[in-house]
Amino acid sequence: MQETELYDLSDDADYAASQQQQGSASMMRSDSSKRSSSSEPEGAEVVYTKDNVTIHPTQFASERISGRLKLIKQGSSLFMTWFPYKGQSSSARLSEKDMNLYTIRAVPFTEVRSIRRHTPALGWQYIIVVLSSGLAFPPLYFYNGGVREFLATIKQHVFLMRSAEDANVFLVNDLQNPLQRTLSSLELPRAVVAGLPSAPQSLVESPSQEHLKAVGEFHGESSSTFQYGGRQRQKGHDPTRDISIQVLEKFSLVTKFARETSQLFRETHSNGYGSFERKRNSQSAIDYTQKEADPAKKVPNQSFVPSDPLEKKPNIEHNHDEETSALVETFELIDCKEFDKLSLVWGKPRQPPLGSEEWATFLDSEGRVVDAKALRKRIFYGGVEHKLRREVWSFLLGYNTYESTDAEREYQRSVKKKEYEMIKHQWQSISPEQAKRFTKFRERKGLIEKDVVRTDRSLPFYDGDDNPHVNLLHDILLTYSFYNFDLGYCQGMSDLLSPILFVMEDESESFWCFVALMERLGPNFNRDQSGMHSQLFAISKLVELLDLPLHNYFKQNDCLNYFFCFRWILIQFKREFEYEMIMRLWEVLWTHYLSEHLHLYVCVAILKRHRSKIMGEQMDFDTLLKFINELSGHIDLDAILRDAEALCICAGENGAACIPPGTPPSLPVDNGSLYPQPDEVL
Amino acid sequence: MSYAYLFKYIIIGDTGVGKSCLLLQFTDKRFQPVHDLTIGVEFGARMITIDNKPIKLQIWDTAGQESFRSITRSYYRGAAGALLVYDITRRETFNHLASWLEDARQHANANMTIMLIGNKCDLAHRRAVSTEEGEQFAKEHGLIFMEASAKTAQNVEEAFIKTAATIYKKIQDGVFDVSNESYGIKVGYGGIPGGPSGGAGGSPSQGGGCCT
Repeated sequence: MQETELYDLSDDADYAASQQQQGSASMMRSDSSKRSSSSEPEGAEVVYTKDNVTIHPTQFASERISGRLKLIKQGSSLFMTWFPYKGQSSSARLSEKDMNLYTIRAVPFTEVRSIRRHTPALGWQYIIVVLSSGLAFPPLYFYNGGVREFLATIKQHVFLMRSAEDANVFLVNDLQNPLQRTLSSLELPRAVVAGLPSAPQSLVESPSQEHLKAVGEFHGESSSTFQYGGRQRQKGHDPTRDISIQVLEKFSLVTKFARETSQLFRETHSNGYGSFERKRNSQSAIDYTQKEADPAKKVPNQSFVPSDPLEKKPNIEHNHDEETSALVETFELIDCKEFDKLSLVWGKPRQPPLGSEEWATFLDSEGRVVDAKALRKRIFYGGVEHKLRREVWSFLLGYNTYESTDAEREYQRSVKKKEYEMIKHQWQSISPEQAKRFTKFRERKGLIEKDVVRTDRSLPFYDGDDNPHVNLLHDILLTYSFYNFDLGYCQGMSDLLSPILFVMEDESESFWCFVALMERLGPNFNRDQSGMHSQLFAISKLVELLDLPLHNYFKQNDCLNYFFCFRWILIQFKREFEYEMIMRLWEVLWTHYLSEHLHLYVCVAILKRHRSKIMGEQMDFDTLLKFINELSGHIDLDAILRDAEALCICAGENGAACIPPGTPPSLPVDNGSLYPQPDEVL
Repeated sequence: MSYAYLFKYIIIGDTGVGKSCLLLQFTDKRFQPVHDLTIGVEFGARMITIDNKPIKLQIWDTAGQESFRSITRSYYRGAAGALLVYDITRRETFNHLASWLEDARQHANANMTIMLIGNKCDLAHRRAVSTEEGEQFAKEHGLIFMEASAKTAQNVEEAFIKTAATIYKKIQDGVFDVSNESYGIKVGYGGIPGGPSGGAGGSPSQGGGCCT
């Protein structure tokens, strides 16, 4: 078992300090009128409530977030929620956005592996909840006590067992015990969390198991015949399950045809998948199933045709009923008209990058982008010629709005330049004497100095001694750490800034584009890694949805924490591709055309490409990590993007539902403005 | 190439102390001052010989920044040796050793051999930590100690090999069950006729399949 203590406080310098400030806890009285409006699941009973349960996102006492912890029982399921209080005076420095990041919205205990209790001799008791995926929530400090009661309440509703190895670890639904495993699979109903329907676990035992195995081979060169017999769907029992099967069946189709499927899905599902604008907030479990029911009805049966049109004739071998044969014909008709028979990769072929002439057609006479969606689509499929990047990236990143005119942008450039200089001046004016008394500043500056000289120095743009661009990296990063003092500087940021500076060249413009990027990717660098964990968690859910055998393999081999994808996510594949390719990938990701989380599908696509090797060689965590690291420089970007596109389309709403709200690069749910904390410095 | 044993090492320590440079000096015998900063983990490997037996070292070079500690902790699993590195010219990197050690003790197996390395000893004129302090710390915590320079290669070879020799001795003394991979040791095909002498419970046939 890999027991990662993600939020161990041994390195939490603030913890000691917090112990001295315990008195202040009494000042954080709860205010029931300010309780979160987010609702509990319907028909639910609150079996435990505790106020002043607090998260310490950073080492600063002023940034702690107090909230209310609840256990909620619905049917035979138990959920845990924690909502921060609104408008806490103690955390004026934190935006709603930051607070929402930590909100725990109805986590079912079926997804909890263990709870570790910490009872320090001095200071508050706290718990760390570890999910079965290996991810963990930040420590929850019980300012008003109540840990024992919390555990006792859980014990009344779910199977809770003290770990034999550590008396402070309580295992939830410990499936080591075969009897317990059976019980839990029988008794624990599928937990459909509001807005977060869980992936098709029940498929494991379904009659379609064989079928799923075949599906699992979808990208492979597998020419084995398709298990058609398992297709009968069990109607009415479990809508989620049916939907999942559909998704997987769509994959099998893709497998067989190995061709232009995304186009197909766009057509057959034009109603169900036309819009990728998600409204997860309002998406309850009920409207989830309703939404899905409709497209399901509309899905023409030809999606399930097992034959391969590449063979130019219906594959009668495993088509026994008339219905299927008839459908094969229908499908071939579509096939001849619509699809490129030669393509062996799925997803739409990549296009050449957007060039100047075409770019001009997207602009009106005053320089506004007339049809932003069409532009984003165009870039999604082909990227941008390098010489246009400087102009186009500022739109994609959200620094310039599509509606702005040339003149407005020109004006903004000068305003923003002054603003940048002002923020930069804040650190430039720190005298050596002042710096002596400003440890945080010295540390950050030192770290940045050490890192910029280790960033992309093999590129001509950054090579050589006293390279001015390296100094610009330094100045921009240090200025950013003042612009966003809460986040500060973290390793990886220089990797994200480097291509931006390379493209923008101008210092102030680079800074603001970087700011815009960090609005979305900033949570990757949260001290508690919450942004990273939510993305790794989402990947695990997506793999579960899109490749159950691979998911099961990772599960059996203790790889569900997906730490092997850490570098991919943290710096958006920066270390996996050549410089030119990374710029291409980023501009495609930034279009947010199919999904703002396309990067997660890219992860799944890469894993799927290597699934047979991973499983065939029985890679353990260490081997897998090494293998993934060594893929660097060996990933075919165009092919992966096509895979990712197809995966994203096939997963559709089910895929979107795997990704918790607020997962980077999503802007946090309740906050629409781009710069929620302008100039909140020092 | 076949080996008698494979040892997993992990290199830990504050950011910028020269972990990646030590690794590169050891595996490639060169010093590259503009090495990209490490994100997550990087790998290196080299064969060495101890007691006439080929031993493969598989070395995990980790990111040093504080924020990545939670991830780094997952890499300790199954490490037979650790190089805990500080920079003799930066006092704070020495001051943080205790917290690194605590991590290692918590997340690695108890028999992991730890070598403390005071790196950048070529910069003696900027020294901020004396050799005696390093020795003292190592003694107090039961670590092996060396000062080294990734730049001049001084003691780099020695540090890696001495760590391996210590692990090898532990195998000979029966401290490890080499068939249990959680100790960070794999037994290879590389000719240990009759199995590791004195090894507790390990046999080549059990471990032989994992030669990669």
